[in-house]
Amino acid sequence: MKKLLSLALAATLTLSLAACGGNNSGSGSDSANAPAANNTEAASGSTRTLKVAALETAYGADVWQEIATAYEKVKPEVKIELTIDKNLEDVIGPGMKSGDFPDVIHLGVGQPKGLTETFVKDNNLTDLTEVLYMTVPGESATVREKLIPGFTDTTITNPYGEGNTYLMPMFYSPCGLFFNAGLFEEKGWTVPQTWDEMWALGDKAKAEGIALFSYPTTGYFDAFFYALLNEAGGPEFFTRAMNYTEGIWKTEEAAKAFDVVDKLANYTEKTVPANGNKDNFVKNQQLILDNKALFMPNGTWVVGEMSKAPRADGFKWGFTALPALTDGGDRYSYTFFEQIWVPAKAKNADLAKEFIAYLYSDEAASIFAKVGAVQPIKGMSDKLEGDNKLFYSVYDSGAKAAMGAFATTDPVEGVSISDTVFGTVDSLVTKSKTKDQWIEAITKASDSLRGALKK
Amino acid sequence: MDNRKGRGRFIFFCLAPAVILFIIFLIIPTIDVFRMSLYKWGGYTDHKTFVGLQNFTKLFQSEKFYQTFQNSVLLIVVVSIVTFAFALLFASMLSREKLIGQNFFRIIFYIPNILSIVVISAIFSAIYDPNNGLLNAFLNLFRSASSDPILWLGDQKIVIYSLCGAMVWQAIGYYMVMYMASMANIPESLYESAELEGASRRHQFFAITIPLIWTNIRTTLTFFIISTINMSFLFVMAMTGGGPDGATEVFLSYMYKEAYTNSSYGYGMAIGVVVFLFSFALAAVLNAVTRREHLEY
Repeated sequence: MKKLLSLALAATLTLSLAACGGNNSGSGSDSANAPAANNTEAASGSTRTLKVAALETAYGADVWQEIATAYEKVKPEVKIELTIDKNLEDVIGPGMKSGDFPDVIHLGVGQPKGLTETFVKDNNLTDLTEVLYMTVPGESATVREKLIPGFTDTTITNPYGEGNTYLMPMFYSPCGLFFNAGLFEEKGWTVPQTWDEMWALGDKAKAEGIALFSYPTTGYFDAFFYALLNEAGGPEFFTRAMNYTEGIWKTEEAAKAFDVVDKLANYTEKTVPANGNKDNFVKNQQLILDNKALFMPNGTWVVGEMSKAPRADGFKWGFTALPALTDGGDRYSYTFFEQIWVPAKAKNADLAKEFIAYLYSDEAASIFAKVGAVQPIKGMSDKLEGDNKLFYSVYDSGAKAAMGAFATTDPVEGVSISDTVFGTVDSLVTKSKTKDQWIEAITKASDSLRGALKK
Repeated sequence: MDNRKGRGRFIFFCLAPAVILFIIFLIIPTIDVFRMSLYKWGGYTDHKTFVGLQNFTKLFQSEKFYQTFQNSVLLIVVVSIVTFAFALLFASMLSREKLIGQNFFRIIFYIPNILSIVVISAIFSAIYDPNNGLLNAFLNLFRSASSDPILWLGDQKIVIYSLCGAMVWQAIGYYMVMYMASMANIPESLYESAELEGASRRHQFFAITIPLIWTNIRTTLTFFIISTINMSFLFVMAMTGGGPDGATEVFLSYMYKEAYTNSSYGYGMAIGVVVFLFSFALAAVLNAVTRREHLEY
């Protein structure tokens, strides 16, 4: 009897386990069926759910909540399900691996985890060219008419070079050098217009125990270096460099850019590489607020990021485009922008496109502008106030805008162009690598990526 | 006869749940890692290309991989040896000597093990801070304050040892407790008779304590390898992000970077396979060379 009982117990144990497994697969297929069910519901006229995932940045998470509410008013038949997180990749990644994709993802290229790049490289995006010609809900203009020209002609938004737009430009920010304008007034220094003036200022500041340069992490060199390449060789040269043209890094123009970065490394505050990681980069930004370094490359978000940080007396944010290489030469400020896109396997791509078109409406733009998030919509920069007015007027005062990034390739194992080009700056500062080694490594990485370019 | 059959069936049903779980959650994923290492895959598409051993040939030609390999091996060796020495020393001090506040020290040493790695990383980031960190402030007592600060996390030659420091601090308590547990089992009489025959404390330690906890030491050696490989990833991620310029990149951080950031999931899995085989081999070698006759007491 006892034996029978124990046998029965063991059997129940096994069975319950099997039942567990069964349950799991059951719920799995349920969730797979759910969107399909949603679709049929939509056909019959009830609400459809649009899954929107957005990275929480310096602009905060609430703004997306507000957008969702506003959109649900415009389109009552759509219900928006938001996923907002600072580690968005980790939150939506596992679901996507098992086939559950959000319909809209707001996450730019250039993030440390490179999720957007992975989708671009894998041709895993929905073509959004159509959105450009859609009328903004509630308005009469099309999206294309409202956008500032140029933003949808970049290698970022049109990654495959056939003219179609796959990623829509969202919040943009001019990047350049930030400094303490108060300190410059106090010392009677002028903001350098050329790199030669920059070096002269560097020597002057050094005598007072102030370093010329700081950078948060080497990742911030992307905007800096792109603008510098534009200054050195113009937009056409820049495009060739971004497409890994053979021999491009050995040209005279490239040499000019390398020289500037190499020289700048000598003028960089010595402790910067030690804090140049995602936990301590704020200390490198603090150097500017404490008058320990003069300039840092950054974007307009830094003002919000450092808003609670202590600062030197009379501190005032100053912002300038990169100094010119020659007297009277072109000055550039890189335009950083975030992107919003639709995965190829999104279940509600049609709804997603309408939603994205709505994001360019005056209503949505003003909601975003409240938290300082500025979209590339004509006339937006005129409505800005305070620090932002100064930052966004950089292009009005003579600086040219640079846009684009290294062209998309098929994944090449073990080769990362951004690590090679930007990451090495740490080593230039600590002097563990020379400029020639740097150029050699870039050439090698560039050579191996050329063959993998998206055709 | 019938009884034995029933018994067998009973054992089978008892073991089945565990075995099934083990297969589903351990064996199958492991096999999957091996399988995925033969594909070129970005991670989010249905489109996988079979490339055979190409990922491995690329891996063995990659300078970066050798750098991460060096870093990992260095960490395994240094962290294991230093932790081992300190843990053993503290364990024998706390279990053999009569100290005031023994229990207090026991707790203090164990605390780092309870703390999360992120907290430890933050603590050590503050200690290593070049301008107002504890370590540089202390060193400035012995040198002029105007000399260049030492960049504990910024100098490529030092940073890996800075990482070692944090890892050793974190690990000591755990191994100390393990050694203390087995030291407590050694009969007091052995030490008494050794003392009567005039053996010094040091002699006792090497002739009695070490041989009698040898099985325990062997087990912990395997732990050292596995935990250093795992922990180094966490520390690197939380403290340096692999920087400056890849100087602290270790096995797993490189694997993570390739699999997720560089859209090369298959290549990342190939790194995983190499790490898997390497740690297995290392553990096997250590196990073989430390084999001794088992001592009974």
